[in-house]
Amino acid sequence: MAAIGAQHVYKIFGEKPEIALDLLEQGKSKAEVQQETGLVTGVQDVSFELDSGDLFVIMGLSGSGKSTLLRCINRLVEPTRGQIYLEIDQKRVEITSLSRKALRDVREKQIAMIFQHFALFPYRTVISNVTFGLEIQGVGKKERTRKGREVLELVGLGGWARAYPSQLSGGMQQRVGLARALANEAEVLLMDEPFSALDPLIKVNMQDELLKLREKVRRTVLFVTHDLDEALKIGDRIAIMEDGQIIQSGTPEEIIVNPRTEYVAKFVEHADASGVLTAGTIAKVLTVNSNMSVNVDTQVTGTEPKLFAEELDITYCLSEDGRPLGCIKDGKTFPIRTLGENPETVDVKDVFIAAGADIPLRQIMDIRLNTSENPIIIVSKNGVFKGIISTHEILRGLLEKGRKDIQHKDNTRESGE
Amino acid sequence: MPGKARKRFRVSRVSTYFILIIFLAPVMWEPVCAQEHGAELFDKIGTQSVIPLDAWIDTGIDWIAITFMDFFDTITLIITKINTGILTALQFIPIYVPKIANTPVALPVLAVLIIPYLWWVASLWTGLFGFAGLWFTANLGLWPQTLETFSLTLTAAFIALLLGIPAGIFAGKSDLVENIVRPILDFMQTLPVFVYLIPAVILFGLGAAPGVVATVIFALPPAVRLTNLGIREVPGELVEAGEAFGCTYLKLLFKVQLPMARPSIMAGVNQTIMLSLSMVVIAALIGAGGLGSEVVRSIQRMLVGKGFVAGIAVVFVAIILDRSTRTIGQRQ
Repeated sequence: MAAIGAQHVYKIFGEKPEIALDLLEQGKSKAEVQQETGLVTGVQDVSFELDSGDLFVIMGLSGSGKSTLLRCINRLVEPTRGQIYLEIDQKRVEITSLSRKALRDVREKQIAMIFQHFALFPYRTVISNVTFGLEIQGVGKKERTRKGREVLELVGLGGWARAYPSQLSGGMQQRVGLARALANEAEVLLMDEPFSALDPLIKVNMQDELLKLREKVRRTVLFVTHDLDEALKIGDRIAIMEDGQIIQSGTPEEIIVNPRTEYVAKFVEHADASGVLTAGTIAKVLTVNSNMSVNVDTQVTGTEPKLFAEELDITYCLSEDGRPLGCIKDGKTFPIRTLGENPETVDVKDVFIAAGADIPLRQIMDIRLNTSENPIIIVSKNGVFKGIISTHEILRGLLEKGRKDIQHKDNTRESGE
Repeated sequence: MPGKARKRFRVSRVSTYFILIIFLAPVMWEPVCAQEHGAELFDKIGTQSVIPLDAWIDTGIDWIAITFMDFFDTITLIITKINTGILTALQFIPIYVPKIANTPVALPVLAVLIIPYLWWVASLWTGLFGFAGLWFTANLGLWPQTLETFSLTLTAAFIALLLGIPAGIFAGKSDLVENIVRPILDFMQTLPVFVYLIPAVILFGLGAAPGVVATVIFALPPAVRLTNLGIREVPGELVEAGEAFGCTYLKLLFKVQLPMARPSIMAGVNQTIMLSLSMVVIAALIGAGGLGSEVVRSIQRMLVGKGFVAGIAVVFVAIILDRSTRTIGQRQ
């Protein structure tokens, strides 16, 4: 069962939103509805479902309704129509139909929020900010302080409990915001552009911290951002919003490789794909054939190869079940060394390297840089030969983001805009 | 028709024409009217009371005074009690009269006590200034009047804040309340102060009570306005943060909005106290007492020197009250 989900959520700003809902259902666009009724559509027919522990990124430009959608989840903004539900103790609770009191209860214990400009209380010390949620719940002072110190330690601000927010840097302030949200032990964290107000370098640090933190404390996170690189880096899944609608959602790689609309494609065009694209996506797939006569040094390969693949002047020798055994180049047989998911630096020049299909392009580049000129052999999870990556594939992956099927956009339309 | 923008433009154009007509019409019609009726028409216009509002107000006030007599008597009693309470407390602090060069010099203990307080809230220099000011007024022979002015001001400010801060909170929390309260405040602030001294006498008799009531009316608006403003200027994200962590209406008010609005509310407290002082002086016209009555007496008898002396004492009291309350809001 999903940890949190939304079904057909709409948010219309203004009076008599039913008129706008009807028009939207007739298929009119957000702009048309606004022109006819003066009502602004914030969120339009959004549905999603998250499993416990997912990090779901909602990405869009300003005005796309992403922050509104986030606020619909804990009803800081009241959705006009649709359901939002949450799993509490194996029971499905519909947030959208809760009474004010029950909603406060959910906000106290189940959903915590982190804000773009930190929203720390300037008249409270760091520890008192962190324990604000517990204070509202009515937790005793001793217990509050204990929990607060524990969480501050977790975000690396152990020594700052008695400082005031104004004495901290932006990055540290947002750590306090994060600690405040973690202190509640809420299952769901709503993060509204949490790193957008930070300097680029600190932003990257905080993203790494968040990923590290997620290994220690597993929470379901909804993360709103306008920064695609950030979305690609931290998201398990990404939803891209435009005009209040989710126009595409999927894993970072799905979005990079298969942008569904022109809008998404334009976004993705300038994204740094090297951390998202996997070796399997960009590898050149070779045809494998069984009848080939080559001179194999079986002392290097161990067993007699049964299958072969050829590319340029290199022959790749495989076992019967498709595992790479060795390579033949200039009549000489070379051994193969397989790297795990986290490859150590390899400086051996006279071997061929095999790497898993699921490692990111950035690591392939790293391997390429530290080894010989030979192509890198890509194997699937169970060790079966998939293809090879040479410098050519790396460059193409970076430029075309693995989209072999997408043609370059015709220049006439671009210049016509 | 596309959008609201067009509509708004039209309205603004209509209002422009309207304003032009209002200003131009008298200018254009003046020669015509003068030819037909002569200048006397303009002399007559506006001098006759067609609407007898004054008579209505007289009747209204009389009715109120008789119908709610008990109510006003109670209020008078409460105000008098608070005022005499504060005054007695101030008078309880002794005043020494040591002889320096065979001349008795007044040394009020209050003047000494105020040094550490002003040092704490402001600076040592302010403390010394406060001492000097009080010592000076005591030796001008105005000590009883100074204490009366202090107690009247504090009574009025206390009541004004007791009413004004909650009113400001309600206005800050609700647009409806704000829309109701704002014109009332505008009315209170623009009505000439002498005007409500008259009904105050009718309803509360002579003495301290009507003076305090008139002062409260005069000093209340900044307390309401600045509290309202302080609450409304709390950043939206902080209010959202409070709500997102499950604050109730009251928890949000006491844990987020009021602490954030504190500097603004304290500025309102300061303003209210200062306005109270200035009105308390004027309230001497209806027998409120204090330094103001010295000023009034001096005006009646054309005593320039005595008037100035009382005026300077008022200035000292003003500076001491201002410095005592100004920095409170800025302390963390």
